[in-house]
Amino acid sequence: MIACVLLAAVLAAGIGAVQISPLQILGMVFHKIGFDLGIPYNEMQETVFWVIRLPRVLLAVIIGATLAVCGVGMQGLFRNPLADPGLIGIGSGASLAAVITLVLGTSLLAGLSGQYTLNVMAFLGALASMIAVYRISRQDGKTNVAIMLLAGIAVNAMAGALTGMVTISANEQQLRSITFWSMGSLGGASWNNVLGILPFCALSIIGMPFFAKSLNALSLGESDAAHLGIRTERLKNSVMYLCAIGVGACVAVSGIIVFVGLVVPHILRMTAGPDHKRLIGASALGGAALLTLADLVSRTVAAPVEIPIGIITSVVGGPFFLYLLMKEKKKQTLI
Amino acid sequence: MLELQNIHFNVPGRQLLSDVSCNIRSGALTAVMGANGAGKSTLLKAVSGEIKISGGQILWNKQHMDTYDPKELSKKRSFLRQNYALQLPFTAYEIVEMGRYPYFHSRATARCRQVIEETSTYVGIQHLLKRNYLTLSGGEQQRVQLARVLAQVWDAPEGQRLVMLDEPVSALDIHYQHQLLGLVYDLAHHKGYTVLAILHDINLAFQYADDVLLLKDGHKVAFGAQNDVFSEETILETFGVSVSLHQPPGYAHRYITVDGRRLATTTHFMQEHNNYSFK
Repeated sequence: MIACVLLAAVLAAGIGAVQISPLQILGMVFHKIGFDLGIPYNEMQETVFWVIRLPRVLLAVIIGATLAVCGVGMQGLFRNPLADPGLIGIGSGASLAAVITLVLGTSLLAGLSGQYTLNVMAFLGALASMIAVYRISRQDGKTNVAIMLLAGIAVNAMAGALTGMVTISANEQQLRSITFWSMGSLGGASWNNVLGILPFCALSIIGMPFFAKSLNALSLGESDAAHLGIRTERLKNSVMYLCAIGVGACVAVSGIIVFVGLVVPHILRMTAGPDHKRLIGASALGGAALLTLADLVSRTVAAPVEIPIGIITSVVGGPFFLYLLMKEKKKQTLI
Repeated sequence: MLELQNIHFNVPGRQLLSDVSCNIRSGALTAVMGANGAGKSTLLKAVSGEIKISGGQILWNKQHMDTYDPKELSKKRSFLRQNYALQLPFTAYEIVEMGRYPYFHSRATARCRQVIEETSTYVGIQHLLKRNYLTLSGGEQQRVQLARVLAQVWDAPEGQRLVMLDEPVSALDIHYQHQLLGLVYDLAHHKGYTVLAILHDINLAFQYADDVLLLKDGHKVAFGAQNDVFSEETILETFGVSVSLHQPPGYAHRYITVDGRRLATTTHFMQEHNNYSFK
């Protein structure tokens, strides 16, 4: 699977308006760390690779892995293979904040508006809606997962309504930005972006495997996990915070990329099984590979126009997922 | 030895357990019985730590239950429910392995794999280990869960293993009922387990229970060896049902019969019936 991710990354880094062969990439990487392999490449290729392609590929890898890992976490937490991080309001909160920034930003935050303001606002929006959902679902000092799910739906609806209201007052140009943002894109990739989200994403990717066993036990039931000596409150809080931070950071940079968090864990569960000890790592790699390839398609299939990556993940992922469902339905092993 | 001393449990406006005391022996199967809502499950939850009792104390081997470290306690105390609403297609092996989670960090140790092997053999599910748990029959699933619950406490010293069963056989057919209770009986009598089980079927209790705790509306009706506890009077008091107990010659235990037709003509039932149909 690691090989898959590397292959996808090398492909994605090499293909585009400026072609770079895998060997040339190898040469450039080794050159950077002080070895000269004697593979010829020109200056333009080098600039494109280091400034444009590599950050974008890294962004795809990081975001793909984070979304998939958080999808696994949410599905484990809700004990439902159909849960995804959007359920607890992360996406809608981020959208609302982003749309407000895009539409009203120029007047409200004069001088501040720009790419980074949007990122930070979306991140804050994601956290705010998540915390709202979380606070509502607290009951006698415990987190009621069922209430959390329903509160998430309510918060999603309210945030959606507000987003809609703000959108109505948007002008032509802003509408375009909003549409692109809500379909997701890695077009704004830069080293600053990569470094900006890395700590958050790394936290959720590295943190989640520590809860693998606990998530397995949780699938028996909450009290049964507790009987196995697992501190279920700590587990629920930790997994939720990891998801909120990771997905919040992703959404802030890339907009809403649907489907990865839902489908990647699903697909891998069919092959690697439901054991979170394997599933989390496998999903991280699967998500990274999938999103890297999806991004490659999104910027090459109709070049020079970029198709939003959310469309690609849905167009390719949807039918593939249906195909898997049909196959599994016959085997009677699903759900 | 599990000692319950004057257990109380209240929720706002209601007393679910009221002054329940008893000593539950190691090496014996103790059945908790009573009508629906009598407080049986609440009592087990109190012992399992799922709820915090409002009064009284629970001692496990002379030590307060809530002073144990949760992780250490999970190696001595385990719990089997009636059914599990599992959604993910784990294999039976993975389910049994969950019982060993308190014992390893990320990879099962050799000892863990050995215990999984032993409990699976004991329960007779070796041939099912590679199967998808969700495709197993109810009886098979319950035995897999029993293997998990046993794997959890398998390594505890004799006399320090507590297994709680909340209606373990209520959803099983007669074959699996006796198979599972036979296993549990054997655990108590030959391996020194302390077994605390909620049972509904008095005939099953006659066959497998050593001690019986009868509960009614959160109160203790009777506790002791089953021969002393079960009588036509205590059963009437606990369940509100007139029964006949019989001791067939040459049999080790008694059995119970209920005349359902006579029950249907009692005044109480008639009144209720009238209330519903003519109002």
